[in-house]
Amino acid sequence: MADGLTPPGGDPVRPAPAVRPFLVTAGRVAPTASGRPVPVETQVVATAAGLEALDGLAFERHDIVAACRRPQSIAELAARLRLHLNVVRVLAEDLRAAGQLTVHVPDSGATHDAAVLRRVIDGLRAIPDSRGVLRDTD
Amino acid sequence: MTPTEPLVRGGAAEQPAVRPPLPVKMVIAGGFGVGKTTAVGAISEIEPLTTEAAITEVAAGVDDLTHTPAKTTTTVAMDFGCITIDPTLKLYLFGTPGQERFGFMWDDIVEGAVGGLVIVDTRRLDDCYAAVDYFEHRRIPFAVALNAFDGRVEHSLEEVRWALDVSDHVPVVVFDARERGSVRDALLVVLELALARTEG
Repeated sequence: MADGLTPPGGDPVRPAPAVRPFLVTAGRVAPTASGRPVPVETQVVATAAGLEALDGLAFERHDIVAACRRPQSIAELAARLRLHLNVVRVLAEDLRAAGQLTVHVPDSGATHDAAVLRRVIDGLRAIPDSRGVLRDTD
Repeated sequence: MTPTEPLVRGGAAEQPAVRPPLPVKMVIAGGFGVGKTTAVGAISEIEPLTTEAAITEVAAGVDDLTHTPAKTTTTVAMDFGCITIDPTLKLYLFGTPGQERFGFMWDDIVEGAVGGLVIVDTRRLDDCYAAVDYFEHRRIPFAVALNAFDGRVEHSLEEVRWALDVSDHVPVVVFDARERGSVRDALLVVLELALARTEG
């Protein structure tokens, strides 16, 4: 810690002995400051500090920060990295506390705003009927 | 006017590299095999993703005469997809099992949703009662969508409305979970309902 060798902003790399999901989170399953689990659609994005520290991160923490170069929801992270939702929630909170991720909890007032709902409605209406023709599969 | 509430501290290095979109969530509920994943897949811009919520629960089986350890782990799959409305706004569709015994996970998934679509197979109405009750109780705008397997439904809209005992203000529609346009229109019914509610 105070050895003067730790790079500024660098999270001390913890040993990563974890092979079982719930050991990864040291048994915690309900993170966040408010005490409520963040919604599954909560957006998570890597910070410059997180990407800089990437090489020093191990296993799940590494994978989460790497995946979050582009914004991801908690649910997408869980599905793509094959982790349990609550494991992603706990690790995202750890990484946020370390300044390596930002966690954007959707504001209920914003998502239920009439102007936002109208934009969603207009966006959906623009989707064509045809199945397959314009289907954006990969 | 930030669309989200970032839990951010500190300096520039700790700001997000990219601004995330505001995620708007809808929930697709219904029994197994009723067409939830088909509906999500018909309209999602990505192939539906699956995540599993593993729950350890105490099995309170009525036939538990064996004195076996009563703790079991249930894994429940949740399929979801998304539609990018524009770079600042993204619609997420979460499919969740609609039967009563999965009620423990609904709060977790439904929290903050703008609306719900309860998909019904008219041959198995029982599977959707719990989801209908849940949305009514939580006062979440929702519609009931009868999935027309092979282009037909077994019961009329009125029969289904009567059987489910849904309030008059709950729309009941027939749709085809395989058809993108049909899924789109069913979602629009729910969104219009949500919008009408914001306008009082």
